[in-house]
Amino acid sequence: MKKSNIAMLIVFLALIPLTLFLGDKLPGKGYYITGILIIIELSVPFFMMFEKRKPQARELVVLAVMIALAVIGRVAIPIPHFKAVFAIIMLTGIAFGPEAGFIVGAITAFASNFFYGQGAYMPWQMMAYGAGGMLAGFVFIGNKKRKPWVMAIFGFLANVLWIGPILDTSHIFIIMPEINLEAFIASLASGFPVNVSQGISTAIMMLVFGKPLLEKLDRVKQKYGMPDHKSGN
Amino acid sequence: MQRKNNGENMKQDAFSKLHPAVNLLFFIGAICFGVLLQHPVYLLAGILASGVYYFFLNGRKGLKNILLMIPLFIFVTLFNPVVNTRGVTVLFTYFDRPYTLEALIYGVAVAATFVLMILWFGCYGKVLTGDKFTCLFGNLAPSLSLLLVMVFRMIPNLLQKAKQIIGVRSSIGKGTAENSSLKDKLHSGMTVIGVLTSWALEGSIATSDSMRSRGYGTAKRTSFTVYRMSKTDWILAAVMPVMVSVVIGFAASGGMNAEFLPERNITPIKGFNIIGFIAYLGYLMIPTLLHIKEVIQWKISKSKI
Repeated sequence: MKKSNIAMLIVFLALIPLTLFLGDKLPGKGYYITGILIIIELSVPFFMMFEKRKPQARELVVLAVMIALAVIGRVAIPIPHFKAVFAIIMLTGIAFGPEAGFIVGAITAFASNFFYGQGAYMPWQMMAYGAGGMLAGFVFIGNKKRKPWVMAIFGFLANVLWIGPILDTSHIFIIMPEINLEAFIASLASGFPVNVSQGISTAIMMLVFGKPLLEKLDRVKQKYGMPDHKSGN
Repeated sequence: MQRKNNGENMKQDAFSKLHPAVNLLFFIGAICFGVLLQHPVYLLAGILASGVYYFFLNGRKGLKNILLMIPLFIFVTLFNPVVNTRGVTVLFTYFDRPYTLEALIYGVAVAATFVLMILWFGCYGKVLTGDKFTCLFGNLAPSLSLLLVMVFRMIPNLLQKAKQIIGVRSSIGKGTAENSSLKDKLHSGMTVIGVLTSWALEGSIATSDSMRSRGYGTAKRTSFTVYRMSKTDWILAAVMPVMVSVVIGFAASGGMNAEFLPERNITPIKGFNIIGFIAYLGYLMIPTLLHIKEVIQWKISKSKI
């Protein structure tokens, strides 16, 4: 990571306690606004790093294709509740690194909101999807083998323990009257079955589709010389 | 889906035609106030204003969505005392946990906030379309907004390609029907996504080569937008902050305090505090009033013909 990037990260991380302190003084359901502000403070540094790097046309177009694929994934497979989106985001993270994984995840959530309707949970969705792509990138860094069953287990666990819980915390801020441990447990418990079903979808996608898609992405990288981004340039 | 949106742009309402910055400011204000002000009268005003505007934007389908909010409202209301046990008046106890009247009433406020947020976000989605968003943030984050524009363009394109692939597969007897087994559907779906990926990635290389040969990345990107600040935009940009400050002023002085737990304590809206309420209602009604004004103008100019 560059020094300027680290400085930026520290500035934004320092803003979080300040936001929490001031947000506590807001009346009503002010914690919803505090929550959104913290998510913005957490994700802006990553977007700024991407922006500062001035990505090339080739990289931008390939990322755009992956995002569009993730958004329309649910159209191609006509099975209700079967979500291809997480697998596509994670596979992008695995192929192109954590940064690309985050960008693809966050923008997928953002763009799909324009297509399937805006919701109050959108910032959490962006964070969760982005975090999922980034985690996949970090876990599979330099791991050239990428066995399908390893990716399937990773996909399942990432959905149940990482993406799902981040998404479920949005319930605390949106529906719950106040933030306490009970509200937290209730939110996580209510989301658990959904997370498991999405984890299973992701695992199946990884098993069946993981290898072919990675091969395609690797081929694009090799044939056309896509810059392969290792973590933190 | 995109195509449908474009068709609707032809008859977009008065507020949507304003500058994106004005649109965004309005929604930030409306949603923040909706979340912060828990006074029942203010919540009611918020639900009415957002509901009416949502109905104007979505027509009959919007009315159906608004009616669907009712069960949601009831569920959130009844659910609140389950996680929230504070309150003085105990209605009944279950598993040694009290279910209190105050928490139930607070549940109404929580549910109202929830419904209000859904409605405002629904309006936001209709008004602030993708192009408006990139117009606002295009200069701030050029690469990201270019990415977003490309995604918006690629989604309908890929959908069309997906339909083509599905059509070809079904015409050679490899398609799936409603009664196909889950395994077949899954397998077919995976193949479709696989083909689509190859196709789209190959196409993306052509696009990026074309971009490079036209000089992408050699100079600062300029952007074109069709949005200009009109007279109405300037007036609203001046009036809205004033209204917002009035509301904040009254809120800070306690004119809209409402406490539910552990005991109810709601400031009545009377006397001087009415000004704060009028400012709030006026602010929320801006899109609706603009819409009504335009409808009346249209009726008058039509009757002149």
